[in-house]
Amino acid sequence: MSGEVFNPNPTVFAPTKASRVAAFAKRNSLWLDDADHEHEEEDESNEPEQIDQDEIFELIRSISDPEHRSMTLEQLAVVSAPQITFDSQVPDRLTVEFTPTVPHCGMSTFIGLSIRVRLLRSLPQRFKVDVRVKPGSHQSEHALNKQLNDKERVAAALENPALVEVLEQCLSTAGRHDHDHSV
Amino acid sequence: MENVERLVRTWVATERDEEVEAVVAEISIGNATFVHVVKALGEYLTAEEDSLRTKGVEFLSSVIGKCPPEKLNRQAVRVLVTFYCGKLEDTETIVPALKGLVSLTSLPTFTGTDAIEVVNALFKHVKMNVLVQSQRFLVFRIIDTLVARHREALKGLGKEFLSRYVALVEGEKDPRNLLLAFAIDRVLLIEFDASSHVEDLFNITFCYFPITFRPPPDDPYGITSDDLKNTLLACLNSTPAFGPLAIPLFLEKLTAGSPATKRDTLAALNVCLPVYGAAVARGFARKLWNSLKLEIFQPTDPQTEEAALKTTQVLIQTIYSIDDRESRSDEEDVQGLAKEACEECIQILREPEKSQAKPANKVLCAFMSTTPSVARFTLSRVVPHLVKLFHNPDEAPTRAPTLRLLADFISAARDSTSQDPEVLPDEGDVPLAPVKDEVLGVLTVGLKTPSTAPPALDGLKALVTTRGLLSDEEVGFVVHNVNELLQKEGEDGFDDVSDPALDLLIVIATFAPRHVAANTLPLLFSSLPDRAPPRSAEAERLRYWRTLDSLSKLCEQPDLFETLVVRLLTKLDLVCIPPPEALDTEENHEPSAAYAHSILKTIAEVLSAKVNKGHKDVVKYIDRLVPRLYNLFIYSALMSDGSYMAATDPRLASVAAQIITLITQSLAAQRQGTFIEAVFAAYLHGDVKQLADGQQKLPADRPFTPLDPSAPTLQKNLLGLFSAAVVALRKGVPLPVENEASFLGMLLQWTREHADNVLQRDAVSHVLTSVVNRHAEGLASFTSERLEAFWKAEIADNAVTYQSRRQSISLWAWVTKALLVRGDPLAMQHTDKLFELFNDTDVNWDAARALGFIVASDKILTKRNHAVIKMLYSQRFCNTLLPRIVTGANSSEQPRQNAYLVALTSLITSVPKSTYSHQMTSLLPLLLRGLDLPDPEIRASVMSTLLAAAQPGSETKGAAKEHNALSEHASNLVTTMLKNSMASQMPSVRVRIAALKFLAVLPGVVRYDILHPQKATVIRELAKVLDDPKRAVRVEAVEARTNWFRFSG
Repeated sequence: MSGEVFNPNPTVFAPTKASRVAAFAKRNSLWLDDADHEHEEEDESNEPEQIDQDEIFELIRSISDPEHRSMTLEQLAVVSAPQITFDSQVPDRLTVEFTPTVPHCGMSTFIGLSIRVRLLRSLPQRFKVDVRVKPGSHQSEHALNKQLNDKERVAAALENPALVEVLEQCLSTAGRHDHDHSV
Repeated sequence: MENVERLVRTWVATERDEEVEAVVAEISIGNATFVHVVKALGEYLTAEEDSLRTKGVEFLSSVIGKCPPEKLNRQAVRVLVTFYCGKLEDTETIVPALKGLVSLTSLPTFTGTDAIEVVNALFKHVKMNVLVQSQRFLVFRIIDTLVARHREALKGLGKEFLSRYVALVEGEKDPRNLLLAFAIDRVLLIEFDASSHVEDLFNITFCYFPITFRPPPDDPYGITSDDLKNTLLACLNSTPAFGPLAIPLFLEKLTAGSPATKRDTLAALNVCLPVYGAAVARGFARKLWNSLKLEIFQPTDPQTEEAALKTTQVLIQTIYSIDDRESRSDEEDVQGLAKEACEECIQILREPEKSQAKPANKVLCAFMSTTPSVARFTLSRVVPHLVKLFHNPDEAPTRAPTLRLLADFISAARDSTSQDPEVLPDEGDVPLAPVKDEVLGVLTVGLKTPSTAPPALDGLKALVTTRGLLSDEEVGFVVHNVNELLQKEGEDGFDDVSDPALDLLIVIATFAPRHVAANTLPLLFSSLPDRAPPRSAEAERLRYWRTLDSLSKLCEQPDLFETLVVRLLTKLDLVCIPPPEALDTEENHEPSAAYAHSILKTIAEVLSAKVNKGHKDVVKYIDRLVPRLYNLFIYSALMSDGSYMAATDPRLASVAAQIITLITQSLAAQRQGTFIEAVFAAYLHGDVKQLADGQQKLPADRPFTPLDPSAPTLQKNLLGLFSAAVVALRKGVPLPVENEASFLGMLLQWTREHADNVLQRDAVSHVLTSVVNRHAEGLASFTSERLEAFWKAEIADNAVTYQSRRQSISLWAWVTKALLVRGDPLAMQHTDKLFELFNDTDVNWDAARALGFIVASDKILTKRNHAVIKMLYSQRFCNTLLPRIVTGANSSEQPRQNAYLVALTSLITSVPKSTYSHQMTSLLPLLLRGLDLPDPEIRASVMSTLLAAAQPGSETKGAAKEHNALSEHASNLVTTMLKNSMASQMPSVRVRIAALKFLAVLPGVVRYDILHPQKATVIRELAKVLDDPKRAVRVEAVEARTNWFRFSG
């Protein structure tokens, strides 16, 4: 990691709240929850729930920005739910697009790599994921996309212990769901 | 004299304390003097042989140390001082001589002249670097005493004293000695003329900054790093003369240090800057600010950031405090750092949406709590800037972050004035007063758009909580605007604003309930429909839920609650018993019941919150609310002959029961007595006049006879409202029946023969358990004979149907629980009976589960309900049963063995972890076997038990033991949990989640060298679980797999 600062003062965005229905409103029910029954009412049916855009967004929204560790990729609007798209023909194929905060951002490869690794670890193997920068948002867009979707180069990057250490730090926030609402 | 000589000779041979004591005793009673002692020691004190000389002086020092002070007259002290000073020269006698001086210097007969002689001798002869720590400690003690008692004499020595002192103590490293040295240094710096030695003294103190000392484990001296830090700090800030030397050093530490050093430096600056003074602070202002800025804008961690802000405040206070004292200067007079820094930050605030805006605003907020003139200046720059920004049409997209900054700034302005509730601030002392109109305007405009509403609400909250700021009328204006916002909730992107909006109204209701009662409540009540929206109208249903939710949060305050009860009861009657013209269609029956249920639940929730807060007005609702509820439910049960009545829905009755219990709890014994008489009159004798009262007149021609065997189910269902009253009775309130035992016997029989459903059986169980718990001493005929017969006929007899036996076991467990909780020995006998069923494959698992149920906490036998509860009953129960169950599980045959396993899991999921955690090692193998039982519920509870045992974080010894136990079985656990996490092998979602949660914590508690052989397998297998059909399972799988990826040596 070079000491160069690419964007010392990025814009901060309010995190979108997960589309939550108020706690009292149970879907498709006329009745409010009774405190007495709180334990029993777990959904024990195995009705499949598809992996969707929101679920994938949940996985990557809280990854820390490598340059501003106290902020998440979501807060800097590097990733967003609409930028995750499924291939309409091949259901297991999806594209995750991200937007560097500045077009010369030298951290973009690293951000792309952190998204890639997080998804490698968290999505079923049947998924084929393309990680790319948003068209027109980076000066070396083409090279970057190529790098991020080249299996061998990703694997080679993960052989570098110094890089992996920073990567693990950025990913360590990914599982946390307590978003800072005061931002 | 001879005596002394003899004692001295003996001591030289033996070195025992007895001889010292004996000589001291001789001196004390006047048989001998110090002259005698010295004479007797004569040959030793001057002996050629080194060790004899040492011993001679040693003995003398020991005697002086123990001798009463009055036996040492001026003459003796004088002689001894000269003698000891001479002995400092001799390397063999220096150590005992120092000991002697320690005692001598603290004597009242020791004079200033002696002091000068002693320090001179010390400076001349003592070489600190050849002495060990304990000996150097003596030197420090001597100097410390001299500085404390003969300060003036030492001052007379002038500069020489300081320079020789510095030379003596330089290079000290031991924390015990340093504590003394720092204390001496502080006195020298404050009391002595140190002007010519500032640099020397600076060197011998600042060289220790920052303190990095960490006491060794089990340190016998108990010196903490904080002790050293505090005494050193007291030196560093002892003179303004240090300022010019110290600040460059601090700056250097701040730039280059570790986070801990940074925090130490900031703490030091906080205490030093005010002493160093305005001139020094001003001289270094720019440099200090530049360093502090770095810590605030690129913080290493939140604590350092916080500390840097604090130091910034101290810096500003130091620079401007004098200005403020001289004249309440105008804003124009704020020159220098405050002005520059303020402008620098405002410059950054021109882009409020950028990440740097937040720290810049923090600096400005910090300025508000510095000096009045700086605060006024800051406020006069920040507020107009933000207001202007908000109104600028080009900046419309940044309105939300602008208001966020403004809200934080208002909070800071509020907190900058005294928080003492006794003192009302003067008109002119509220900093925000000059700008309140603009601010209020901007914030109310902010309420109109979804993105700006949350920060606007925060800003308004800060505004209304600023004391002495808003007029009553203005508060009303705020309430009005918030009401408008509340009505928009759920539309046009206004999501999640009702919580903060209500929060604001609740705050306002505490000091101005009038506005909320007059404006907000009518609005909310009028938006509640008179009739339930049809099943398909989901949006309307959501709206009334929201309204009720808002009401429940707002109406805890007594006046508001009274209004709530009146209005909601009216609504409830209207919904449950619609006027004849509003003919209810069948389609709308269930929605009506659900609506009524929500209304009742609202009352129950507020009531429960009020009980938690100890509100006194709960009591009066026994007259205002309870009779209305009984009336509604009894009326509905009596009138419903085939036609549908909403209030006959059992779910409604269960909420009404909660309300009745909450209110009954709050009553004093006497009122409970009259109330329970009314309840019994109604339920046992059909006399409902005392109990029920309300709009609907109860029909005289339809009797209320819920306990009659032929009563309709709807009437029987109302036993829930009977038990609701009984369960909360105090111990001293008897049931209004002739014989409680036979009454309970009757109920027992009734439930076996006439109860139609689980509701009715539960109601009876609750009555039985509550009455037995309160009055067991008078119920022997019931708890022994009657139940004995019940056991034989209903439980032990396997000709009875399974369902019936199961229900009877549950009843049995309830009564046993009542006895156990109050510490009655009969409880164990009843418990033993359950073990008798372990061979009976029909009911053995039910009996085993009942063992856990007996000791589990429940909602009936609670402190709030005035249950008789003996301390530690669950521990005792567990200690008795656990060994028995463990032995049983290990030695018995099937089917007993599995029953024991079930009992074990049921028991330990019912008691606090601490009751069994010390036995984890022996329990773990059994729990692992429990994981093989085919019942998903048992598996899930075993897993949650294991999870609790594995919970990292608790650094107690017990936890370490449990973790060791887990380590022993690690590979077995991993295999089992993986198996239970696969949808293909484990249909239960609950079990899969529990297994994954356990897998997720395992790497945190088992050492890498033990667990790493499993790593590859776990990661490979969990990859499959990532494709589980259920989202909740996938989330846990991701978490677990991530933890295993990160798991490394």
